[in-house]
Amino acid sequence: MMSTSSFLQALWTGGLQGYLLVGFLLFIIGLMTVLLRRSFLLQFMGIELMLNAINIILLAFGKWQGGAPTASTFYLFIIGVAACEAAVGLALIVELYRLKSTTDADQHSTLRH
Amino acid sequence: MFLAFTLLTLGSALAMAFQKNVIVAGLFLVATFIGVSGLFILLSNPVSAALQIIVYAGAILVLLLFVIMMLNAHEEESPQDDLYLQRYIALGVGGLLLGGSLWFIKQSKLLQSVAERPIDQIAPTSLNEIGAEMLTRHIVSFEMIGLLLLVSMIGAITLVKKRL
Repeated sequence: MMSTSSFLQALWTGGLQGYLLVGFLLFIIGLMTVLLRRSFLLQFMGIELMLNAINIILLAFGKWQGGAPTASTFYLFIIGVAACEAAVGLALIVELYRLKSTTDADQHSTLRH
Repeated sequence: MFLAFTLLTLGSALAMAFQKNVIVAGLFLVATFIGVSGLFILLSNPVSAALQIIVYAGAILVLLLFVIMMLNAHEEESPQDDLYLQRYIALGVGGLLLGGSLWFIKQSKLLQSVAERPIDQIAPTSLNEIGAEMLTRHIVSFEMIGLLLLVSMIGAITLVKKRL
């Protein structure tokens, strides 16, 4: 069992637990942005934050698995998917803004217009 | 160094989440991505750090700021009706996730056994290794991601264009 002082040491100086904590906190901040803010653009930024949190955790485990290039390969695939999501998501936001001249999520709560 | 980049990342993420003006929030998001890129360098992964700057801070954020400025919706509007129940449920979910992740980091034995592995003599991941890995073992995924990019590009054009 790890002692508390060496656990805190790992948190402060960049052990695996420190990177995991940063990733989890970033994910929660992104999730709260999506859930609590009402502007589509801010919700979109929250989604980007969550993707970055996942990337930090992925590459941290990649390093502690011996620096295998598989982690970096999957990171490349993730940013490919993120780029697709950015293109389609922003196109949807532009189209919704044309419909009602607002990016407020509450006013776009129905599927028909 | 780890602490500095962590503070930059989390601080500007929090500033983004509480920002009123959407353009300023986008600029804080750039700072967040730079902090994340610094963390990638500390993880001995310079290729990913460069890609983070180029793709996220360069391409995606420029697209996002372009759309923000084009839409002229810089301020969040005042709420139509107060959805207190939803907000409390959201905060509850966030608190639950925070507690669960802290418990996992502190208690997991598997995580401790992974964290105690030696990492002193790990060489930085080189672009050669990544390219070889991507074009041999993951060649199908590589082709699929190219197809996905093409499809999403066509989809974005179809969504926005009024008359094709």
